[in-house]
Amino acid sequence: MTTGVLIFAYNNEHIDYLAMANWSAKNIRRHLNLPVCVVTNHPVPKEYEFEQVVYATTDNHNSRWFADIDSTVTWYNGNRSNAYELSPWDKTLVLDADYVVTSDQLAELLIIDQDFLCHRWAFDVTGMQPFDDNNFFGRHCMPMSWATVMIFRRSTVAELIFESMQMVRDNWDHYRNLYGILKSTFRNDFALSIAMNIVDGHTLSTPAIPWQLASVTPDHQLIQISQDSYRVDFTTADKKARWITLSHDFHAMGKQHLGAIVANHT
Amino acid sequence: MNTDELIAHSRSRFEHAAARRVLKEKYQAKMTFAHAGGLWQAGPELLTLLHTVKENNTVVLLDLYENPVQVIPKELVDLAQQRWQEQMTGWLLEYTETNKNR
Repeated sequence: MTTGVLIFAYNNEHIDYLAMANWSAKNIRRHLNLPVCVVTNHPVPKEYEFEQVVYATTDNHNSRWFADIDSTVTWYNGNRSNAYELSPWDKTLVLDADYVVTSDQLAELLIIDQDFLCHRWAFDVTGMQPFDDNNFFGRHCMPMSWATVMIFRRSTVAELIFESMQMVRDNWDHYRNLYGILKSTFRNDFALSIAMNIVDGHTLSTPAIPWQLASVTPDHQLIQISQDSYRVDFTTADKKARWITLSHDFHAMGKQHLGAIVANHT
Repeated sequence: MNTDELIAHSRSRFEHAAARRVLKEKYQAKMTFAHAGGLWQAGPELLTLLHTVKENNTVVLLDLYENPVQVIPKELVDLAQQRWQEQMTGWLLEYTETNKNR
């Protein structure tokens, strides 16, 4: 049985997701010892070392405001729900290009008997934001399932989840209305949450990754202090500068800071 | 009452709590490990349970996903004990460092 990582990397006018994926692939090999397949629509530079490249166009895109870049950018997020058919692996770990692997923690999830796993809870590493708005969505406060990290194996359950995500994506206005989601922008997190809910028979009992997704929000500065250690600078409510160090896996929600770290390595 | 002192103290406690939470999240994640097809969290509850059945050749336990998994208690207790001690030591070191920085 083959096991590997799948990263979607669709560059836009401001963010080089492909470079981010290449940098991430090095961390993944070092900690998880897994091959990496990138899904993109851009030519992959020769110096980038992906084990596999899947070229796939994506018609689905949105505009999204990125606070750290201070502008609205095109966001090609529509074909994450095609991960099941695009992945070359039997067991796949789908990671956002901006998910930073600093440990072998995820490896534990690749050897257990589960068809599909993702994070149910995320938290702000600085503790400054409550994240309730991120961990629940819509008028009915449905629980969020995060598409940042998804682990699946070839199975009926996983196939149904991804097919349901596509159904939600293709009928976004209907599902948005049904779940009372105010923002019109399609998000994979919403599609995954709704799909999980449907596939699991609306029982809200889907197995999840048994730890929380550490998140660095765009308004906090992220810098690398050593190979697997990072510093998050933030300002408290009374305008005092504070920082914390991170030495475990995290989701860098601010693309600009991570982009600068990646650029330093190229 | 010196409200400035109260505010400073309160904020300091908030930041300290945030740092403790990050550490807790980190080390709770590291306590998680896979064995015999199940996922387990090393800790007093699992260790205590395993010590009560460790003379058995095999035993069926519920893993973190509440799936029954047949395990050899001796193998699982060794793994859990090692994981727990390693991570608690790391947790203590970082906790001490955090307190020192403050």
